[in-house]
Amino acid sequence: MCEWCLKHGDGGKWYFNARNYQKELAEETNAVEHLNDILKVFDRSGVTPVYGMKFAGSGYKLQTPIVGRVVKRIINRVLHNEGPKRKHIGVDGHFGQVLPIEDASYIIENLATEPLTLNYCVCRYMCRGEKDARCLIFGVHSEIVDKIPRYIPENVKRPMDREEATRMLESFSEQGLVSTVWFHPVPFISAICSCENPDCMGIRMRHDYDIGLLYKAEYVIQFNPDLCEGLRACVSACQFGALSFSPTKDMVNVDLDKCYGCGNCRNACQHNALTLVPRNDIKQVAGRY
Amino acid sequence: MIAVRKGKTKILIDLSKCGPDGDIDPRNCTKCLKQCDRPVFHLHHVIVDGDDSWDPSYWQVTPVYISQCTRCMRCIDVCPVNAISVSW
Repeated sequence: MCEWCLKHGDGGKWYFNARNYQKELAEETNAVEHLNDILKVFDRSGVTPVYGMKFAGSGYKLQTPIVGRVVKRIINRVLHNEGPKRKHIGVDGHFGQVLPIEDASYIIENLATEPLTLNYCVCRYMCRGEKDARCLIFGVHSEIVDKIPRYIPENVKRPMDREEATRMLESFSEQGLVSTVWFHPVPFISAICSCENPDCMGIRMRHDYDIGLLYKAEYVIQFNPDLCEGLRACVSACQFGALSFSPTKDMVNVDLDKCYGCGNCRNACQHNALTLVPRNDIKQVAGRY
Repeated sequence: MIAVRKGKTKILIDLSKCGPDGDIDPRNCTKCLKQCDRPVFHLHHVIVDGDDSWDPSYWQVTPVYISQCTRCMRCIDVCPVNAISVSW
């Protein structure tokens, strides 16, 4: 169980705690004020200076031995900031975790607060200039986004009902996108996104720079070598490069350290050789999120 | 996994050609954004005094993740106004 489950999970996983979705919590944590301030500049969060430090060119700073560790610690502190003195800049208090599609559907069907709306993905617009409607947001967050015309997609029904939203998420998962659940601001949960590598800022920050903007899922993939026939379909389905094909063995190799536990490779496998198991049952990756 | 390279890549964008005062609006072009394998560039709005903060009108492209640049030079080839320059 991860750090955030202990703090905000009430004895379970943090994203299964119904309190984290409620309007009362949003009022307690000043989420409305925070989102109002932050959403105006959310699509320039990549270039907003944090404590006088610019993100542009920060990759080189992170590579330098000692300075890199200090910079990483500062960025992590800003991201995980829960205090009342939170500044409404950049991506304060905004981080998330990868979800398998079963958990994402459970959240949409049972926990998410009305209204549910589908919005443009800000990451994809920043990185590629493309307006893709992929982010499912709920509750207070979607009420605020309704005021901002540039996030609202055309030809999409707003607000959506729960069945429609679940079907939408499942179709994204079949396309190979990774479901992620986001705190915004922590501990208020306000969005489920469908991300891909490298267009998602969360995945990039974690995968390329090792910054805690996105955590691995509570699950990990388990591979059954007896059932694998070496069709390689799952290798192209993995967004994180955890699967590779070994010609010598004529089957697939799984790198558990790289596995984020999204479970998208299960859709590609025809022989059910891949299954999701809880992360803490596998000793090699237990407790590594 | 950070690819280590010798020397720093420098990417400059000429804002007089592409940007708020430039010949083209980056929102209508976005060719460099789509060509880049590791999305090095960011499309973002510029804060201007008296601008409507809910619906900004000035946008520009900034190279942010320069350390991920593979020096493939495709962004230079594809830019219609020759605004990008890469050096190392």
